[in-house]
Amino acid sequence: MKLERTLSIIKPDAVSKNYIGGIITMLEKAGLEVIAAKMVHMTQEQAEGFYAVHKERSFFKELVDFMTSGPSLVMVLEGEHAVKANRDVMGATDPKKAEKGTIRATFAESIDANAVHGSDSIENAQKEIQYFFTEHNLCPRVKHHHKHHCCGCGH
Amino acid sequence: MRYILLALLATASLCAEQSFSMIKPAAVKEQHIGQIIAMIEQQNLALTNIMMQTLSQEQAEAFYGEHKGKPFYPELVAMMSSGPCVLMVVDGDNAVLRLREIVGSTDPKKAAPGTIRAAFGKSVGENAIHASDSVESAKREITFFFGAN
Repeated sequence: MKLERTLSIIKPDAVSKNYIGGIITMLEKAGLEVIAAKMVHMTQEQAEGFYAVHKERSFFKELVDFMTSGPSLVMVLEGEHAVKANRDVMGATDPKKAEKGTIRATFAESIDANAVHGSDSIENAQKEIQYFFTEHNLCPRVKHHHKHHCCGCGH
Repeated sequence: MRYILLALLATASLCAEQSFSMIKPAAVKEQHIGQIIAMIEQQNLALTNIMMQTLSQEQAEAFYGEHKGKPFYPELVAMMSSGPCVLMVVDGDNAVLRLREIVGSTDPKKAAPGTIRAAFGKSVGENAIHASDSVESAKREITFFFGAN
């Protein structure tokens, strides 16, 4: 069994509508464990840095405005094939195309205000986790080879 | 004039309040975070700060300092520092009382059906969640974990 970690963000639209619990319930039922969480009202710099890969795209300004419009819940999820498991339960970027039973089909209103973000690869997951958390902030449930709870050993 | 005063009193009794809540390690481990938060949100209470943290023994001792010397204290401290907790600031009208209502009685066996402890608590010790018992405690507990604003 290969444990992976991925970054999940409950976006401002879903936080403001009190969907945090509903979304985390779906993540937990998909076998993903929340091993770090913090509520963050992103600054413009934080949102721009996080989405830097989209800097030249036409939707960039709108995306940054949206992500800074209210608090988000930023989380690290751990589980078997966590990157894919999270993307499966999130559903397609466009909620209209998202399969029934996915987070976006249930809680998202549009392709922009689409309730959640999830890392798209293991490499990006590592980068995105580091963007918001240090190893010390992580509280893995599975005890790794150190006895300390937040050992940050990365295995 | 009397009506203005009455209106002011009515407004004051509905004033927004903050409470503090903590999902305890056993409920986190058993994957009940989402369902517990959903039950709070369904009361029209908003979570305005959230942080996952594994309490150190010192933090757990200080947080439950008022119970120091009681027979259950060492066990309580050990349980609270056994794994990550979810710390939450809960905002809303009469948040302290309304949070306690949805949390339910300290003893899950006595908790009303539909409350968090009836659904997820196992015993008086392992009762899934903490909620502030007064506005003053809420202020102290929020400052303890999130610092003064």
